[in-house]
Amino acid sequence: MAAPTVTASLNATSYAPGAQMLLTVTYGDPDTKTVTVTVVVTDAQGNSSAPAKVNAVIDPLTVTVTDDSKRTWTRVSDNGTVAVYRAVA
Amino acid sequence: MPRVTVTVRDSSGQTATAAANYSLTPPVLGGYYLSGNADPTTDMSGGNFRSLTQYRSFADSNIFPGYNRPWLVTLGRSGVQMNMVLELKHYGAGDTGSQTFTVDGVRYTVPAPAMTIQQRPGTVWPKAYGYGQVISGQCDGLFARALSQYRTLGFGVNIQLASELDTDHEFGTTEAGKAYTWAESDARAVQAMTYIVNWFRVKALPAGTTFSVGVGGFDRASFTRTHPESLMSRLDYLQWNVYATSASDTALARFRRTKDWAVADLGPVALSRPVIVAEWGVRVAEIPDQAAWIATVPAAIARLNAERGPILARTNYFNSGWGTLSPKAAGLAALRSAYARSPYA
Repeated sequence: MAAPTVTASLNATSYAPGAQMLLTVTYGDPDTKTVTVTVVVTDAQGNSSAPAKVNAVIDPLTVTVTDDSKRTWTRVSDNGTVAVYRAVA
Repeated sequence: MPRVTVTVRDSSGQTATAAANYSLTPPVLGGYYLSGNADPTTDMSGGNFRSLTQYRSFADSNIFPGYNRPWLVTLGRSGVQMNMVLELKHYGAGDTGSQTFTVDGVRYTVPAPAMTIQQRPGTVWPKAYGYGQVISGQCDGLFARALSQYRTLGFGVNIQLASELDTDHEFGTTEAGKAYTWAESDARAVQAMTYIVNWFRVKALPAGTTFSVGVGGFDRASFTRTHPESLMSRLDYLQWNVYATSASDTALARFRRTKDWAVADLGPVALSRPVIVAEWGVRVAEIPDQAAWIATVPAAIARLNAERGPILARTNYFNSGWGTLSPKAAGLAALRSAYARSPYA
């Protein structure tokens, strides 16, 4: 099993009170793979259902964000490799 | 310094972490100036006004708190941060000759101001104590008089030397019959400002005393010339003024102009200093709805302070001249509303 990787960057180094803060998290893991499972049900007479597809993630990653000044960071987007979080300064 | 930490964990429990530090700027101080150095107490009361600009000439015998200005002491003791603009410029009232006076038992004679500034063609050129006069020690009595009064105030202030060096020098200066170009005047002013700051800094000063040098900030080359690192190392703040005088002027563009020059042209010491905008204003002739323009200022300041470069720490509205609020009630209401919002509150 490979270890995950992550980087974090803020859109500024200094914020005025009340300002919006944006945190961009870039993450990944070589083991993470998305597989598609396709299911077809066939009965005894040989009639088959239409194929149903479902995606499954192998070795999924969970991202947690903590702030030592107790700010709450809310996820505003996540495409599986880049996630953006928002907080109020 | 607050820190945000990101942890990524996979299904087998392996983790990776990354962290980013950030800082929070203190609230920007919303401030004011009322025409004629008049008592602003009524205009400021009930609003989040925490900063004030005042103008004094070193030629005048009452600088701190100023003639008939007990309200300045009241405001200062209540926590309003004072930006005291002390000018070598002689305001022209009364005698512009030499002065003899006693400060704390020491007798001083200061010669008549020997320089002219603001030499705009077709106008009467104001007199000022010359940079040569300052450097040769002829004006030490003026500084001693100001310091003696300052020590009785009861609180520290920012001393801004000169109002706008660029305005003073734009058409050259003349001292003792010799003419100096704008650039020459800037160089001489840097020497004189350095002399004055050093003169004060070696004396016992009230706690919280800070220094800056005044510029309008409208000329990039002059701004650079007047902000060498050697002088900035002796100053606590950068300073410039901000005016909207065209219908297309936005708050963001006007507040950022001189900041952008600073970031591009000045050294690391200068850029480590926060900024006092001693004057900002909206000219009603071109921008009739002053209130609407003022309402856009908090967001502009917040955005600029989120960018790289020096932090805007105080912005004092100049209710006089170009900034005159008309109608006053609507303008003041807009100021109060702006200063009640982030990044001012």
